[in-house]
Amino acid sequence: MFRRKRSAEDFAEEIKAHLELEADQLEGEGLNGDEARRMARCEFGNAGAARERFYLKDRWVSLDRLLRDVRFGMRSLRQSPGFAATAILTLALGIGANTAVFSVMNAVLLRSLPVSDPDRLVYLRTSNPPRGTGTIDSTQTFSYAVYEALRKQGGGLSPVMAFVPLSGSKVAVRYGAQPEEAEGDMVSGTFFSGLGVNLPLGRGFTEEDETRHAPLAVLSYNYWTRRFARDPEVLGKTLYVNGVAMSVVGVAAEGFEGVEGSGSTDFWIPLQSRRELNAWGNPPEDGKLYDSNPTWWCLRMIGRLAPGLTRAQAAAQMQPVFQRSAYVGLGSPMEGEKAPVLSLVDAKSFPGYDMQYGSPLRMLMAMVGLVLLIALANVVMLLMARNAARQREFSLRQALGAGRGELLRQLLTEGLILVTAGGVLAWGFAEMATRVLGRWAQIETSLAPDRTVLLFTLAVLVIAGILFGLAPLRLALAGGAELALKTSAATSNVDAGKSRAGRVIVALQMALCVVLLVGGGLLVRTMRNLENTPLGLRVDGLVVFGVKPNIPSVPEGIAFYRNLMDKLRVLPGAESVTVSEERLGSGWSDNSDMRVDGKLPEVANGASRTVRSNVAGPEFFRTLGVPVLAGRDFSDSDTATSPHVGIINEQFAQRFLPNQSPLGHTIGTDDGRYTMTIVGVVKDHKYRSIDEEPIPMAWYMYAQIPMAGPMHVEMRVKGEPLAILPSARKAVQELDPNLPLIRPMTQREQFDTTISQHVLFARLAGFFGFLAVALVATGLYGMLAYRVSMRTAEIGVRMAVGARRGQVVWMILKDSLLLTAVGVVMGVPLSMLVGRALASSLYGVKPLDSVSYLLAVAGVAVVAVVASAVPAGRAASVDPMRALRTE
Amino acid sequence: MATQENNDDRIALLQGTLDLLILKTLVLGACHGQGVARSIQRQSEDVFLVDHGSLYVALQRLEDKKWISAKWGISENNRKARFYSLTPKGREQLVEKASEWRRLTRAMGLILDSSGGLQGEEA
Repeated sequence: MFRRKRSAEDFAEEIKAHLELEADQLEGEGLNGDEARRMARCEFGNAGAARERFYLKDRWVSLDRLLRDVRFGMRSLRQSPGFAATAILTLALGIGANTAVFSVMNAVLLRSLPVSDPDRLVYLRTSNPPRGTGTIDSTQTFSYAVYEALRKQGGGLSPVMAFVPLSGSKVAVRYGAQPEEAEGDMVSGTFFSGLGVNLPLGRGFTEEDETRHAPLAVLSYNYWTRRFARDPEVLGKTLYVNGVAMSVVGVAAEGFEGVEGSGSTDFWIPLQSRRELNAWGNPPEDGKLYDSNPTWWCLRMIGRLAPGLTRAQAAAQMQPVFQRSAYVGLGSPMEGEKAPVLSLVDAKSFPGYDMQYGSPLRMLMAMVGLVLLIALANVVMLLMARNAARQREFSLRQALGAGRGELLRQLLTEGLILVTAGGVLAWGFAEMATRVLGRWAQIETSLAPDRTVLLFTLAVLVIAGILFGLAPLRLALAGGAELALKTSAATSNVDAGKSRAGRVIVALQMALCVVLLVGGGLLVRTMRNLENTPLGLRVDGLVVFGVKPNIPSVPEGIAFYRNLMDKLRVLPGAESVTVSEERLGSGWSDNSDMRVDGKLPEVANGASRTVRSNVAGPEFFRTLGVPVLAGRDFSDSDTATSPHVGIINEQFAQRFLPNQSPLGHTIGTDDGRYTMTIVGVVKDHKYRSIDEEPIPMAWYMYAQIPMAGPMHVEMRVKGEPLAILPSARKAVQELDPNLPLIRPMTQREQFDTTISQHVLFARLAGFFGFLAVALVATGLYGMLAYRVSMRTAEIGVRMAVGARRGQVVWMILKDSLLLTAVGVVMGVPLSMLVGRALASSLYGVKPLDSVSYLLAVAGVAVVAVVASAVPAGRAASVDPMRALRTE
Repeated sequence: MATQENNDDRIALLQGTLDLLILKTLVLGACHGQGVARSIQRQSEDVFLVDHGSLYVALQRLEDKKWISAKWGISENNRKARFYSLTPKGREQLVEKASEWRRLTRAMGLILDSSGGLQGEEA
């Protein structure tokens, strides 16, 4: 590449020849030999420079220089390995944490759906559902009638696609012999073509598949990989979904995991119309499935804007059709009723994630941003300290002819080396941290860093590199060439030792550290509160799993569960067994108004009339360990033919039947179609989640109400709760070989899922707070140690003229305590702002929690004192004579 | 440069003119670097200051462009020296560069000599 026609030696030879020729000639002109040679050299000027120019000619000059600078930088860094290691590690932690959080944020909040032209995709939203309808989400779900109408005559969107899960969680599937569970959606025939999802294997659905409810399935790439080991032979095989045979026809593109927000979809089937595959896994309501029930708004819809239309235009075009179809099967709207209004929202990013993870992630991003600031400040300070100590080196080099440009280049190169090493480490660290984060937060979307993350990291690195090069330059140049020659180490370093910039940085770091510690403290206390919240039931020894039998009639359903409980009760280790329609601690609840003694109850001061209800089996409260305060638990003798019985909690009694015994009163559904007599009152306990406040609750007896669907089995067992699962599974499959146990886990785990995000958030916040403290401590220590070393001579003088040890130690300590005080004064008001921003994530702690503030301030003070103690001690043990002789 | 005296009234060569001067000097016959330097200085009546380092780099540049060729030989006073001579391509370049230069100086002259211009020369 650098082929040279002529060697540098040959060029040097020519210059030598020139000098001889010139000398000869000068001699001929009358000078003596020596004089002539001297004159020739003078005339020539800088022969070395000419040789260098020859050497550099044609070379890729900058690369060559860079390599030299890098080699030089490495050498000078190797001379102070402690500094290099600290700087690189600090950078790796700071940048790694940012990369990790950013890549989660990128994957969850910023990345587009992996479909063609995601900018043109929109979700359909309604301002409100019409009166008298039930919804999954009051603004996001629609009836089948609306879907039909918009699809056929929507206009503004082409196409309009509906999608709805087969279950609130997972649905029973079977491939081969083993029943298992997976997340499945029913979708429009235009789903894959309309979204523009590639199918690397097989095909998607067609509109005809939808109209004839074809028994076909498309697998997600992820599911295909996980369950089928990417077997191409899977096409044409049969997947049983809730016992219905579906033929696999395709595999969707890698990275496409559906448009459900909460998890990743494993497979899709065309919209069906059969009892086993009703939307959301619900039993038919009055014999009606989702596609013939105008009062159940359960479908989500997504569409692609027709070419040339804006969102507003498309919504306006569809409005009349929507408003007409909204009332199909509902009669005409009541007078004064607010008509639902259709709107379209951006569907570019993953749905639901923003709501679920948005605010914690943004908060975390801010936290790691602060950590990064502290880390960068640390490294800048370290560099400044190091370069100040090298002031004489710089002066000397300037005196020897190095240009400012060269010094700058060298400083930039050293910065570059640190940043590169730190960046490489940071990337590895981030990869690990991202995986851990994803697992903890139970985010199923792929979090692998993409180009955006890489660019983000590179941007941070570049900024850091420039900062590290520039910050110390001023200091390096301030000295000038003369310094080296004139002054001693003791005096030349004094100014640098008192650098105001360093003090400002330390104080700012202290302030940021206070903020992070307060934030971390508030969240950790929240976590403690949540973990120690009494649940009001004995969760130890409780195990829960779901079953979803395929039952045609109510009596058969009752019999099925009766049988199942009988089989489970006799398993070795089982103490008691019961069933309930809703699982405790799942975050779900069934809320409605209830009649008390035949009418909707009056409530004082506008309190809510809402009652949370559940359907429970015999010995429900005994199994859960909830104390029965009055009356009795459900029992086996409560049957379909015996009088209807119900149980309420304390809240219900206090709010709707105050100052009397609730036993014997009748309560029932708000439509008056079902009534029952209160036979028991139980203590309030946690129901939906750990961080909830108790509200009125009522329980129906499962054997008495006219419904049969999936239920959850609660078992109290001796010893390890999960050990009962294999025998329980066998018992279930003796009744129906198609039935898997749905999400089996201990009741404790189930409740913990409701605070897992708080806990995760708190742990991370605590971790970052701790990291910040560690960084600030190293920074402070480095800074002080450096300042003390700079003042060795001064301290020596002071001690020589009679200063005592204590006075020297105090001199040093005073300095850092002052900085701490300034930091705290700045940090506390900042923390109050942060505390207010965190308010919604706190539980049982006030944003102005004094304990957290005190601990944070104390923490910072301890760090300051400890980090100062060592240098102060060292300062005090300076031997005056040695200090004075340093130079 | 420290070695340069400030009261020197020689003019540093303009960028690019050195090439032309070298070519012109070599048109008279092969010559070594020191001879070229002397010759330029003498012919310009000592007005031009030829930086010898730049001269050798320029010679090398012209050689790389194949406008001149070089070989080691013996000078008239029996010293080893590297002799440069013009190639045909170099001759073409000389004609071209010379006419370019004349056009440039003529244009400069027109501007500088026009009335109502600058009162004096300011550097």
